[in-house]
Amino acid sequence: MPVEVVGNEFAQVAVSVDTDANSPRLRIEDLRSGRVRFLDALELETLVHLPEGKLQSLLDPSADRWREDRE
Amino acid sequence: MTTTIAERYDALIEPERVHGSLYTSPEIFADELEQIWYRTWVYVGHVSEIAQPNDYVRKTIGPQDVVMTRGADGEVHLLLNRCAHRGNLVCEADAGNSSSFRCPYHGWTYRNTGDLVGYPFPQGYGGRGKLDELGLGRVPRVAVYQGFVFGSFAPDGPSLAEHLGEAAGELDRLVRLSPQGEVEITAGFLKHRARANWKLLAENETDGYHPQFVHQSIFSVAESGIGALYGEKSTAVTRDLGGGHSENDLRPEFRRLAAPMGWFGTTEKKVPHYVAAMRERHGDAAEEILVEGAPHVMIFPNLFIAEIQLFTIQPLAADLTVQHVTAIGLKGAPEMNTRMLQQSIGSVGPAGLLLADDTEMYERNQAGVAELRPEWLDIRRGVGRESVDERGLTIGGATDETAMRGFWRHYKRLMTTDRVAAGTAAGTPR
Ligand code: FES
Ligand SMILES: [Fe+2]
Repeated sequence: MPVEVVGNEFAQVAVSVDTDANSPRLRIEDLRSGRVRFLDALELETLVHLPEGKLQSLLDPSADRWREDRE
Repeated sequence: MTTTIAERYDALIEPERVHGSLYTSPEIFADELEQIWYRTWVYVGHVSEIAQPNDYVRKTIGPQDVVMTRGADGEVHLLLNRCAHRGNLVCEADAGNSSSFRCPYHGWTYRNTGDLVGYPFPQGYGGRGKLDELGLGRVPRVAVYQGFVFGSFAPDGPSLAEHLGEAAGELDRLVRLSPQGEVEITAGFLKHRARANWKLLAENETDGYHPQFVHQSIFSVAESGIGALYGEKSTAVTRDLGGGHSENDLRPEFRRLAAPMGWFGTTEKKVPHYVAAMRERHGDAAEEILVEGAPHVMIFPNLFIAEIQLFTIQPLAADLTVQHVTAIGLKGAPEMNTRMLQQSIGSVGPAGLLLADDTEMYERNQAGVAELRPEWLDIRRGVGRESVDERGLTIGGATDETAMRGFWRHYKRLMTTDRVAAGTAAGTPR
């Protein structure tokens, strides 16, 4: 699978299409933490339709990542 | 105290001579930052440098580090590159594409419009959304003319149109040379550091007296006719455009020679597609445009357009200035752009002759003005033969110091009138 790096000074992510499952999925790897996530076609389609504001609120570093009240 | 400062500049700037300390005094430099660089309109960048939504480039207004961004909505923003938390530099790269910026120190994250998106471990601030008033600093006013983006640290004052005045027409003349009516700044910038005061650079940009001496070598190797444009017999004029802006108007000479593309030292045959595209767009008016060519204009205080190159002047200290240079591109004219880039590399590139020659002069000039005697610099050349053109603007001969006198008139006005009472118009105490 060809791997491409999408990067800027704020993040470095490797993306590729993974075909191990029953249909292709996007494989995204955060090159700084090594964490991997797969996104299926429906999830990707959802991202395309996500309103700008929702995407921005996901970018809040305390939205999911750096928060002390987790779990 | 206000009066004393005004009186001081009155004594240092006379119509035909200026005092050497204006180029060497750190106090005057600090005063200029407040009265000029953090106050009037300053050129920052061009919209083509941030063509796509979420593109950004790092720019400057004097010593200030500014990030020019295009929001997802297409709007242009000028942000200061300083985290609202503890002041870390937020953007490091010269250019990129990102909807948000995350400070590397503690992860505070900002939209590319400057708004704070959030901060890690929010309980320390009593939860999320508690610091809404904090964001990246913004240049209070942003305005665009013909794709050229200007910023002003003063929340109010003259509009960009008022600031540009007669110089706006020179930007119109430049974009008219593109078959699509737009220029593009995509060649990338070189930064030339000069151990000299910024005003020596600004004055030199439309000084028609020096080219035959300083640039003799490049004119001879390039077998260029440019030198003759700046001679005693030339019909070209130096024009004080008002507002500190000035130009070398070479059109009278080009019109006399009446050769399309002569302004670029080439002929129609060498750029047939470009010439055809221009005739297609402009009809009969194309002949005049192709003969007259591009402007040679200095827009106060920091934008210089030398026909095919764009320069921005960045002052860093009384005796330190960086000149950012690039080749201008004409949208829809690939044939011309290749040539303009090649010529720019030869003249202002790393091994280019033209800017190296000028820089040598800036630095020698700076070393000289630092000497104690004589105290004054003379700018009277052509005083006795100035006239007023049909637009009511003062013009002098091709080699006259009319442009410098206009520069200093405006400078004196900015430094003496409407002085900022306390701190700065920008609200950025330093
Ligand atoms: S200084 Fe930027 S997050 Fe602390
Ligand atoms: Fe020069």
